[in-house]
Amino acid sequence: MQSFRKPLAGVDHPQMDADVVIVGGGPAGLACALRLSQLIDEHNARNPDSQLSKENISVLEKAREAGQHCLSGALLDPRSMRELLPGFEKEAPLDAEVEKEAVYFLTEKGKWKLPITPPPLRDHGNYVISINRFTKWLAKKVEDAGITIFNGFAGSELLLDGENVVGVRTDDKGVDKNNQPKSNFEPGYDVRSRITILAEGARGSLTKQLIDRFDLQAKRNPQTYGVGVKELWEVPEGRVAKGEVIYTLGWPLTRAEYGGSWIYGIDGRQISLGLVLGLDYKDPRTDPQHALQSFKKHPFTTKLLEGGKMVRYGAKSLPYGGWFAIPPLAGDGWMIIGDSAGFLNSQRLKGIHLAIKSGMLAAEAAYRALLARKFDAAQLNDYPKAVENSWIKKELWPVRNFHQGFEKGLLHGLFHAGLQQLTGGRGLYKKYPSHPDYEQMERIEKLSDEDASRAAIIGPARREGALTFDKITDVYYSGTKHEEDQPSHLIIHDTNICNERCVQEYGNPCQNFCPANVYEMVENSESPGAKQIHLNPSNCVHCKTCDIMDPYQIITWVPPEGGGGPNYDGM
Amino acid sequence: MSARGVILVITEQREGKLNRVSYETITAAQKIGAETGWGVEAVAMGAEVSVAAGEIAAKKLEKVYQIQSPTLQQYTADGYVAALKPFLTEKLPSLVLFPHTYQVRDFAPKLALALDRPLISDAVGYKYESGKLIFTRQMFQGKFAADVSFTGEPPYFATVQAGSFRADQIENGSTPAPIETVNAVIESSSIRVRPHEMYKEAKQAVDLTQAEIIVSVGRGIKEQKNIEMAAKLAEVLGGELAASRPICDAGWLPIERQIGSSGQTVSPKLYLALGISGAIQHLVGMKGSRSIIAVNKDPEAPIFDIADVAVVGNLLEIVPALIEEVKKAKAEA
Amino acid sequence: MKILVCIKQVPQKDAPLKLNESGSWIREDVSYEVNEPDAYALEEALRQKEKNGGEVVVVTAGPARAQQVLREALAKGADRAIHLEGDEFVKLDAASTAKAIAAAVKSENFDLIFTGLQSDDYGYAQTGVLLAEVLGWPHSTIILHIAKEGDGLKLKRELESGYFQDMEMPLPAVLTIQSGGNKLRYATLMGIKQAKNKPMTKLGWADVAAAVGKNGLTIERLYIPEKQKRTETIDGPPAEVARKLVDKMRNEMRIL
Repeated sequence: MQSFRKPLAGVDHPQMDADVVIVGGGPAGLACALRLSQLIDEHNARNPDSQLSKENISVLEKAREAGQHCLSGALLDPRSMRELLPGFEKEAPLDAEVEKEAVYFLTEKGKWKLPITPPPLRDHGNYVISINRFTKWLAKKVEDAGITIFNGFAGSELLLDGENVVGVRTDDKGVDKNNQPKSNFEPGYDVRSRITILAEGARGSLTKQLIDRFDLQAKRNPQTYGVGVKELWEVPEGRVAKGEVIYTLGWPLTRAEYGGSWIYGIDGRQISLGLVLGLDYKDPRTDPQHALQSFKKHPFTTKLLEGGKMVRYGAKSLPYGGWFAIPPLAGDGWMIIGDSAGFLNSQRLKGIHLAIKSGMLAAEAAYRALLARKFDAAQLNDYPKAVENSWIKKELWPVRNFHQGFEKGLLHGLFHAGLQQLTGGRGLYKKYPSHPDYEQMERIEKLSDEDASRAAIIGPARREGALTFDKITDVYYSGTKHEEDQPSHLIIHDTNICNERCVQEYGNPCQNFCPANVYEMVENSESPGAKQIHLNPSNCVHCKTCDIMDPYQIITWVPPEGGGGPNYDGM
Repeated sequence: MSARGVILVITEQREGKLNRVSYETITAAQKIGAETGWGVEAVAMGAEVSVAAGEIAAKKLEKVYQIQSPTLQQYTADGYVAALKPFLTEKLPSLVLFPHTYQVRDFAPKLALALDRPLISDAVGYKYESGKLIFTRQMFQGKFAADVSFTGEPPYFATVQAGSFRADQIENGSTPAPIETVNAVIESSSIRVRPHEMYKEAKQAVDLTQAEIIVSVGRGIKEQKNIEMAAKLAEVLGGELAASRPICDAGWLPIERQIGSSGQTVSPKLYLALGISGAIQHLVGMKGSRSIIAVNKDPEAPIFDIADVAVVGNLLEIVPALIEEVKKAKAEA
Repeated sequence: MKILVCIKQVPQKDAPLKLNESGSWIREDVSYEVNEPDAYALEEALRQKEKNGGEVVVVTAGPARAQQVLREALAKGADRAIHLEGDEFVKLDAASTAKAIAAAVKSENFDLIFTGLQSDDYGYAQTGVLLAEVLGWPHSTIILHIAKEGDGLKLKRELESGYFQDMEMPLPAVLTIQSGGNKLRYATLMGIKQAKNKPMTKLGWADVAAAVGKNGLTIERLYIPEKQKRTETIDGPPAEVARKLVDKMRNEMRIL
């Protein structure tokens, strides 16, 4: 019998006081920490008599090491980094400046090149980076600045005092499969903080708690998501030039899916290759990992990869909803930044620069709050106001309706996108509505013959030589690892729905949308012929697609024991 | 140093009986000797080791030394080093080889350093290239092999991993090798450790890494009750039972018996994979096995890529037949 | 008791390692962790301190990045750390490493030095024993239980094939600790915070170079182990397959 992770009852939690706790050590959280440190340093230099301390500012990061859970293509628009650390190019680990770019439309065997690269996909001046290395570098900056990063600690619950967020409880460590404490049990800490900043990445688990608790999404579009799957390859020299960027549309996706693929040249030998897929697809059999494998089988891609070797694999979700899906960004004692808030330009497929900028703006608000010794919503609303007045809004406003336009497929999307281009982002409607992704999924019985064209992206992928891999092999290359003896951190609130209803209605799409083989339907040993859900939580790569996509919304992703998860070294 | 090089094998005996890896080490020495032209000699040591020395003398060796002292009745690192240091100082062999056992790990590095000479531990092979002796050993838990050489003057020291050479390839001598007794003089005050008698104890934990034979089951075993059949096969073979992840996940076997990236890494002499498809997570934990037999009904199963012997078939039929056949073979032996 | 624990930083277990053309492994872009057997040595030392009082000091030799394993040990409860810092330490063989550590700690009066069983990277399983020889101390290896008795220790060590042995030993001594005996503790938030203020002594290559001397071993090259396996397929009815397998077990694998 599977036990699910839950807070242990009757446990005393040690306390730690903090001024600011940032949950999540990705680009947003680290930029926030670094900016706050800069402001405090400047303040202290100006005011020798009223010094601010950094001792009680900390970052919680669930990965064993900085950057290990960070995944992106990645292209960095340097705008915000230049503001945070002028001249950062000289010391940051940047692989290449983008020098060449092209967009192709693929059919199953053929390709045609777009005569011009559409402006949103023009990347001259951006950098190809490994977000993993970049984050490690940023983390070192933060630690050198005197701010503590607690690696291997996840935020498992928000601490509330009435309507105020007053901190975070970290994960319990040393809990066995059956939710019993082991001999090395360590209860989670209650980090009681004046300001809690959520920087957990897309679909953050504390952010989700906060949004639910205060119904923050009520007046907003629901957040919608995409999932990105990526492989890092080493290929013979000269296949893709250093700094070369290739985007493809079309095959293996059909007109009903929103997404595309990328290939980036890192250093002449290493290439980053991946596929993003909007989670508003309708066919429950759709499997993003399979789609990536098919993309590699296109003659265009195969030629680039031949004789090469896959070295890493990863997957993550990304928020596509745009400006209208961003929840209120601050309240009593809390702020939300980065992907957790939905700062991503879905037209340019770029979010790192926005994540960094949002972190910086939140840091500035936190700094003013520390000076004013006020931490309520009125004070912290400085941050959303600053966002309104910043280039974040200028960048996101014209594309506010971009992704919603694609809800009905590629052709509709292109129509709306063209119209929006002409009307400064407005298009046909002032505010294009959107729907939660899982609502778009159709029941198996509703699939028509037309859906047969989807063979390249549905069901499990097969292993073929050194080119394509089944899912479990890819998972191995994510380097994911968890303490084995712990309860499942994928909480299914009612497994009967999986075994009885979903199997009929949707064919258990968790097996397909999960890019890490966490969900499996296995023979039921008690009733032959019947299948039952089986979980492999240790395979999880923390992409949270299951939490987003399950059609009955009965899966909740919570952080496993801190330190567990993928190892995206070099990704 | 003697005019002609000599390889000296320090064997390990308990109650007059040599362990298998000591014989394997003699094989290694004979092979190296054949290539280098060095003579091969061996040492048995203890309080009274004439039986073991006689046993070794039947092998093709130029000489056998029995190093004896009442102080060597019980093994101690201090005692062994006190006995061997003056002996080696006088003999100055080119190469001193040991079996890589827990006991050797305990004293060989100390002995080598006492003579200010380097030791290559846990060698699995050797190369003799243009007058240079190189030992190969595994590093990074088998991810890489390494060629390691000595610097400076001999004698050189190396320990040989169990199973790297074959005891049955040992060459016997046409006449018994001469046995020379060396009475070691050891100050009993130089022994700083006071060991008690050894005792056997049921281990609290299974240690699959030490098992020579492992019968491992995967999802193809179908039902929990079939585990018993695999356990029986492990028992008749004198091996340990292990499993791939789904079996331990289901609670059919404890997690200590899980092989693979989230379990144990093993390299037994025989790994018998029953109904294991061979996901890479499993393969990384067992691909270093000396021999791999895989039984699976799916001819495309990746386990067959690394198996020495592939059986495409129904394990529920093959395992019972195999149990009977092994029993028969054991009865004959 | 005053206990020194030797800790090594090694690549994380599943880290994909790469070789360069000259046959050495590429140390950049790899995630590191504490050598797991050393984590058990530290655990035992912390438990000894809880029982008998005293001090636990951790030492490592390696480049700046290796400081991470000392920080973790301090966060788990070690009192202070010694870092032999420099790229020179990376290239040392086991004997040279032992000499360097001995030179660094000889002026401190440790009662005990613990090491792990072996390292998960090179796996020489020698450094602890060599350290004892350099210091002129007694040692014992693969230790399961340690009890202080009078001026010395009572130990239980593991031998092969299910045998164990008890022994007595005087102090000071070097012990290599068997892995898996204790459950490893977790670092706590407070522990990590406090670790920042614990003393960390740094020594450079120049401080110990005179005592180290030349390496006795040279790693000529690393390579992916060659595989010469050919898969042989056996078929037929079960009884026949069983006969053929037993024949192979007896005559080729020689395990019967």
